[in-house]
Amino acid sequence: MDDSPFTLIVVASALIGLVAGFVMHRSDFCVTAMFRDLFLVNDRFLLRMLALLVVVSMIAFEFARLGGQLSPYPFPLLGPASLTTLVAGVLFGIGMVLAGGCVVGTLYKLGAGSVVAAVAFIGLLVGSVLYAEWHPWWSALARSTALHSAVTLPELLGLQPAYLILPLALVGLVYLVRCQRLGLLSRPAFARGHIAPWQAALVLAALGLISWYVIGMPLGITTSYAKLGATLESLVQPERVASLAFFQTQGLNYTPPFADAAVQGGAGPQLDAIAAIQYPLIAGIVLGAAVSALSVGEWRLRYRIPARQYASALLGGILLGAASRMVPGCNIWHLWGGVPILATQSLLFLLGLVPGAWIGSKLLSRMVIR
Amino acid sequence: MAESTQDNVVLDIRGQICPSCLLLALKELNRYGEAVRSGRLEIVVITDDRQATSTIPAAVDKMGYIAEVTHIPEGYRICLRGGV
Repeated sequence: MDDSPFTLIVVASALIGLVAGFVMHRSDFCVTAMFRDLFLVNDRFLLRMLALLVVVSMIAFEFARLGGQLSPYPFPLLGPASLTTLVAGVLFGIGMVLAGGCVVGTLYKLGAGSVVAAVAFIGLLVGSVLYAEWHPWWSALARSTALHSAVTLPELLGLQPAYLILPLALVGLVYLVRCQRLGLLSRPAFARGHIAPWQAALVLAALGLISWYVIGMPLGITTSYAKLGATLESLVQPERVASLAFFQTQGLNYTPPFADAAVQGGAGPQLDAIAAIQYPLIAGIVLGAAVSALSVGEWRLRYRIPARQYASALLGGILLGAASRMVPGCNIWHLWGGVPILATQSLLFLLGLVPGAWIGSKLLSRMVIR
Repeated sequence: MAESTQDNVVLDIRGQICPSCLLLALKELNRYGEAVRSGRLEIVVITDDRQATSTIPAAVDKMGYIAEVTHIPEGYRICLRGGV
């Protein structure tokens, strides 16, 4: 890996990860809880925080695009929506609820010393690697069930993005202002050093914008779960890893905003652009959460829990890891990055995620937490 | 993990998968609701789940109970009792 095109990317990703991990831990900004608690206890508070993040990102991304500050647009690795995205979104929703956190929630909980989150993390690696076994069949199915070649809804409708995104964002703003007036954007919290979720939503939206401006894409991490899994698998089965098409594919090929030449990357074990973007982000989130937990005296290893919860975390993690490759992409990639630009793949993922979270909530309350 | 004493039910939910804290607290409230409401019993939740310090008070408030959160060396102690 040549250092020069990647130095800025590595430093920016690590710093973004550190801030994100710290803020998510202090505010418990759990995307899984946003959907899960809606079904378990009819609590929509955290879902409003997601709405805030999405609406602010819609406005920020669109004005940055209009100002010529976002390149490339749409960001790389987004593809056309297909029916497989919808199915994988359902599986992702089930997996994140059973795992006790999404691909990022698992990281900040792991950083704070949660052993069950570490088990979910192992499951994520296993699931990501397992996907490679059926990747050729699944990707062929995705191509054959693609709904349209358009990557975003404005493109599908033949509209300038601003004509669709800004009116929708305005509707979202009106809703949020109404929520604010009714006192629905905040609630009492008693945790040490608590950061209000609405503040976290604004910080995370800002981090998404910075990431796109500096790195060329918003936050995303799950290709690196496959990469890390492939690295570990290649220690024991190098021939197997070398024989799987998924690990040879270079899905990322783009020119970062502050680079002179294109960079490439994929899910294989090599150190490439994906590694430069996502490994520092992952490490930053874990470290940022650890710093946050240590600074309020709450970092501790917690492992004495019922065995079925470990089983749920592992199985949920495997499902989550596999589903994130089947979508492809994770919840923060699509919800914080794709939905604000009305990416069709992201909208279809969200459509699958909701019933998936409902199924996961039923399974969790009947079979895991008793 | 529920332990019953003369005046309260203690739930030690440290380290458990989310949202065990909220669900198990609500389950105990459903079981002992009448005793809690009459002031004969308190439900005490010991947790290290930061989110539970806001979700449990919000949930039980809707049900007419009071939640008192205090920081303890093990994490947080959330005491649930009948409303006034």
